[in-house]
Amino acid sequence: MLKIQHERILTKVRKKVGYLTALLIFLLLTLGPFLWTFILSVTPEYAMLEKTPGLLPETVTFDNYRELLTADTPRGGLLITGIGNAIKAVCAALTLGIPVSMLTAYTLSRMEFCGRRLIRNLLLITMVIPVMATIIPLYRLFVARQWLNDVFWLSMVYVSSYLPLTTWLMSNYFATFPKELEEAARIDGCGLLSSFLRIILPASYPIILSAALIMFLNTWSQFQIPLILASSLETKPVAIVVSEFMTKDSIQYGLTAAAGIIAVFPPALAALVFRRFLISGMMNGSVKG
Amino acid sequence: MNILRKKLLPYLLLTPMILVMGVLVFYPITATFSYSLKRWKLTSPGDIHFIGLQNYSSILESDSFWYSFQNTLFILTAVVLLTSVVGFLTSIFLHIEVKWSGILLAIAMLPWALPPYVNGILWKFVFSSGYGFLNKVVIGLGLAGQPVEWLNSRRALLLIVSLVVSWRSIPFTALVCLAGRQSIPGGLYEAARIDGGNRYTIFRRITLPLMLPFVAIGITSASVTAINVFDEIIALSGYNDLGANLLVESYLTTFSFLDFGKGSALTYLVILFGTVLGGFYLRSMNKEVDY
Repeated sequence: MLKIQHERILTKVRKKVGYLTALLIFLLLTLGPFLWTFILSVTPEYAMLEKTPGLLPETVTFDNYRELLTADTPRGGLLITGIGNAIKAVCAALTLGIPVSMLTAYTLSRMEFCGRRLIRNLLLITMVIPVMATIIPLYRLFVARQWLNDVFWLSMVYVSSYLPLTTWLMSNYFATFPKELEEAARIDGCGLLSSFLRIILPASYPIILSAALIMFLNTWSQFQIPLILASSLETKPVAIVVSEFMTKDSIQYGLTAAAGIIAVFPPALAALVFRRFLISGMMNGSVKG
Repeated sequence: MNILRKKLLPYLLLTPMILVMGVLVFYPITATFSYSLKRWKLTSPGDIHFIGLQNYSSILESDSFWYSFQNTLFILTAVVLLTSVVGFLTSIFLHIEVKWSGILLAIAMLPWALPPYVNGILWKFVFSSGYGFLNKVVIGLGLAGQPVEWLNSRRALLLIVSLVVSWRSIPFTALVCLAGRQSIPGGLYEAARIDGGNRYTIFRRITLPLMLPFVAIGITSASVTAINVFDEIIALSGYNDLGANLLVESYLTTFSFLDFGKGSALTYLVILFGTVLGGFYLRSMNKEVDY
């Protein structure tokens, strides 16, 4: 009897130790790079290249953040404009992207018509097309139409790059609702629009919010497309601004590190807020049940 | 009239999508294909003409193509392996319920929120020779006297690029797998336990097979990411040939050597490569699960 109890406690301890080890590795690998970048961002520039064995700086300075968050300084002005531009692009992409993917997903998942499978597959396969394959004709189109440095058209290009993914997630989600639900509503005199608004929409907010988060993160991260289509100060997003800090003639690592930390802040915040919906959205969205 | 309207309605609802994709994706890739059949160098702008498949054949004969093709293959294999294995393990870890589960999930998602270019910079701070974290540790522990140049050899650079890209793509896979794990009905486990299954058989007979479709989504999304790696390579090693994959090669051909014809042909080879994988992608996306 005592032996069994003893063994039970032992497995419990073993389990606990195993979990704590996993937790430690997980935290170290996930947060490590962020922490190191933060340490660099508060290390004075002169201490950066010193061959000291210590990892932590002897003095801490927040000058980099002060400079970057003041709009009057040249670099601060650049970064703040870049963040503003990224926010503008996110807003435009969400207002355009969410309705278009909802409409497409609804049609592809809940209506019967000729060529449905073909259209669905054609849309999905565009996921493998790299940006580089469309950028030269797009550049020429943008020059001809004078769309260069226009946030609206720029955001449309972003939307076209993740429309397949969001549509696919949404259409799998919509497909889980029983057809009878809508039919009953139709018999009760609901039109197509009102049955969509009253039945499908209220039940779909997890997947809509998940799609919004995916669009937010992807728009915020854009680099290759704006590199070619939006090089002016008025449209350049934050990732490009940070990359310029890295390549400008006098590289200031601390400043670049601080800019990187600032650039991660808004999407990280969005991810924190929306994560509740992500799992429930994905549960029905990623595999047809 | 009513029947006609009903038949046309789906197409009408799809119009916005068809317009967006038509103008911004299908028109450009058709145009790119026609460019790829032309001799078109900005260095001699007067001389643009049709040359058939010559761009393709000259690419296939060049060493630099095979070099960057190998790099692409290496990154693809490493990223897919790392992302699927670590992503799966992370999802199992995140599924364990503890007081701080919500916070752990939030932390797990952080790398996903990172712009790929900034991701490259973050890791450059780790691997850089002068101020890099790894060198401080290596020198601090007395393992090396001199700073190690981690990013100067091809193999090390490719390995680091793969690690860095996986780090960013693991959260999505972990999330999809976690959703998969959570949608397995608890009753299945109870039944298995009553039938006397031990932990290993339960994992092998229930958890693994029911999560496989979700892992497949992770694998396919990781492979699309891996083929399209660009930002991280640029951030870690700049616009040079050492770690160049097909996309960097195509960027350099197009914008440094200003050979639009050849650059377009290169991107088409990437698409071809991607479409082969894409077939697998579509298959796994149309799969159904029965619990």
